[in-house]
Amino acid sequence: MNRSPVLEAVSEEAALEQLHEMGCTDGLPVVIPTPDRVARMVLAMVHAPEISLGQMGPNFGECTFERLAACAVMAGCTADHAPVVVAAAQAILDPRFDLTEMQSTTYATAPLLIVNGPARTWTGLESGYGALGPGFRANASIGRALRLAMINIGGGRAGQSDMALLGHAGKFTMCLAEDEENSPFPPLHEDRRCPAGSSAVTVIGADAPSSIMINVDADDPTCGDRVLASFAAAFANPITNNVALGGGQAALALNPDHAALLADLGHTRRSIAEGVCERAVVAGADFAKTAGWMRPPRDGQEIRCFEDPDDLLIFVAGGGGLYSAAFASWCAGPHRNQAVTVTIETDLSCEVPGMQ
Amino acid sequence: MTSAFWPQGNFVARSVGMPDIPRVQLPHPVAGTGQQNMQQVADDVVDNVILALTGRESTA
Repeated sequence: MNRSPVLEAVSEEAALEQLHEMGCTDGLPVVIPTPDRVARMVLAMVHAPEISLGQMGPNFGECTFERLAACAVMAGCTADHAPVVVAAAQAILDPRFDLTEMQSTTYATAPLLIVNGPARTWTGLESGYGALGPGFRANASIGRALRLAMINIGGGRAGQSDMALLGHAGKFTMCLAEDEENSPFPPLHEDRRCPAGSSAVTVIGADAPSSIMINVDADDPTCGDRVLASFAAAFANPITNNVALGGGQAALALNPDHAALLADLGHTRRSIAEGVCERAVVAGADFAKTAGWMRPPRDGQEIRCFEDPDDLLIFVAGGGGLYSAAFASWCAGPHRNQAVTVTIETDLSCEVPGMQ
Repeated sequence: MTSAFWPQGNFVARSVGMPDIPRVQLPHPVAGTGQQNMQQVADDVVDNVILALTGRESTA
């Protein structure tokens, strides 16, 4: 039976200290996963507690619904968050995500969760100003639940099995919704083959966001090209893995103003991706001076960041203004740490007694 | 593996069910330290590699 042992403590304060000492937290206080709280979260996940979603590396622990529910409780999730946590766990357990290798790498990478569809509303996920920053419970808790699962089920612990040399703050949580209401494009998940009207989470292993400053000017006939060139410049840096290794993916968060400008110029998500990929190129000579030892360029060869426009995940998020954001990525692992989109099961949920 | 990655090696050995898999510790770092240093590291550890793989002392 894949049931978890129950620890004992004289108080919640003592239990918290015990969990810290055991290395079961992310360093911040957690909600104590009492059997009652975990049982209710399992109910919200609508599966038997002992059923496993798969083995989570590098520890190859069974990701049972009970263990995942315990992590969701610890992270501060509500019952409404549970289906998103389950879908996110399914995404990182997909072999294409290369979780074991990603957890073990020296690179600074973390799962970026992008949620689409009606689940954004009933979970309360934020997509606008500061969506990746502090202050939004669903954003903070859902991403944190996944991280706690990666620690406690997957065994990713800094300096022992998670060998990220520095890491980044997104390893605590990095979750947001796409701003579908202010996007001129179809929702991201629908362009990734999910049915219209469904909810889904897309997970990509990502660097911390890098701001891209673009001052748009509707009177400037070259503005569209400038915007695409600016996006491309954010990735076409010879010392990033997207260039040094190549063959990987990346994410691009368009702020609503930049998205609207490009849509007014006739662009689609696909044409933006094509335009960025076409421009995200490093001269072989520049590459040779820096990371060229990774794959020495031939004379005159250009080094491309992306092999296919589908390798660039474009979504609309954040407030309107000067900045969009680029998320470079690790680009290694057997499947190059591919992004995975999983539909969020919403038909099975029920009201859970004693939970929000 | 190098000393900095020794704990990770132990972790992976346990998690894949091979806690006793032979392994030899190298100083950290090795990569990028130059041919001369790498040759010295190789000379220093080769007997330990043979011992770990065969259970016998090197006869060289």
